Amino acid sequence: MRAMMIVKYDGGFEQRVKPSREAFAVMGKYNQSLRDAGVLLALDGLAPSSEGARVTFGGSKPTVKDGPFTESTELVGGFWIIQVRNMDEAIEWAKRIPFMNGESVEIRRLAEVADFADRMEPDHLERRKALETEMYGKSN
Amino acid sequence: MRFMIIVKANADSEAGVMPSPDAMVEMGKFNEELIKAGVMLGGEGLAASSQGAKVRFQGGKTTVVDGPFAEAKELIAGFWLLDVKDKAEAVAWARKAPMGDGAELEVRRAHDVSDFTEDEVSTETLRKEREWRDANQKPMRN
Repeated sequence: MRAMMIVKYDGGFEQRVKPSREAFAVMGKYNQSLRDAGVLLALDGLAPSSEGARVTFGGSKPTVKDGPFTESTELVGGFWIIQVRNMDEAIEWAKRIPFMNGESVEIRRLAEVADFADRMEPDHLERRKALETEMYGKSN
Repeated sequence: MRFMIIVKANADSEAGVMPSPDAMVEMGKFNEELIKAGVMLGGEGLAASSQGAKVRFQGGKTTVVDGPFAEAKELIAGFWLLDVKDKAEAVAWARKAPMGDGAELEVRRAHDVSDFTEDEVSTETLRKEREWRDANQKPMRN
């Protein structure tokens, strides 16, 4: 199964904590360990919410509000997507993330084609399967 | 520039209520538009947080808590990763997404290796990250 490890922090975190050169090196090593184990499919760190926006739907057209979103209790800071046997394995990988400052990492299962099989036309399912292979086909 | 478009969760997604077949068709059409435009890096749905867990890190120790987690609006239900010209283009795509009333998308820029200076990250770390990203983060083609 594919799992997503999502770094979450509160809106004030970006002001409080600036990662050191040492912290980057240690994180680089962790990322490499995921590659070496053949489990890494994707990863990204996100720029602060000040560079972002929120789009809300309802009414005649969507409304857009620019960041920052300092009042949020759980902003996404980054993520990894990993290929694992089960959630327990994903949790074990998450526990090895070199965090120290009260960060939280949420681990979630990514939906698969099997989850949608009862509500997608066969050709749509086939298309989705093909896309999933292409999205992560060239990892490691 | 790469952007993540985050689909916020709601009571339905957290209850495992799947989108209707019609909604899935609309979503499929939107995804095809993204691919045709050459901006689609990826797009996924997430299973409800009841199937998930959370790890908290404090002073060298980890604590694991099983889902579900409260505050649906702070959770995510899905995302796209797009490769676009700028934030305006990312927001333009987000506004076109086939979302229902009350849905919320958050548009966030993903760091590029060029965001970091040699002072902040070692040359070796940067080189490795750049190599991997060049190999792996390419828009999907038809």
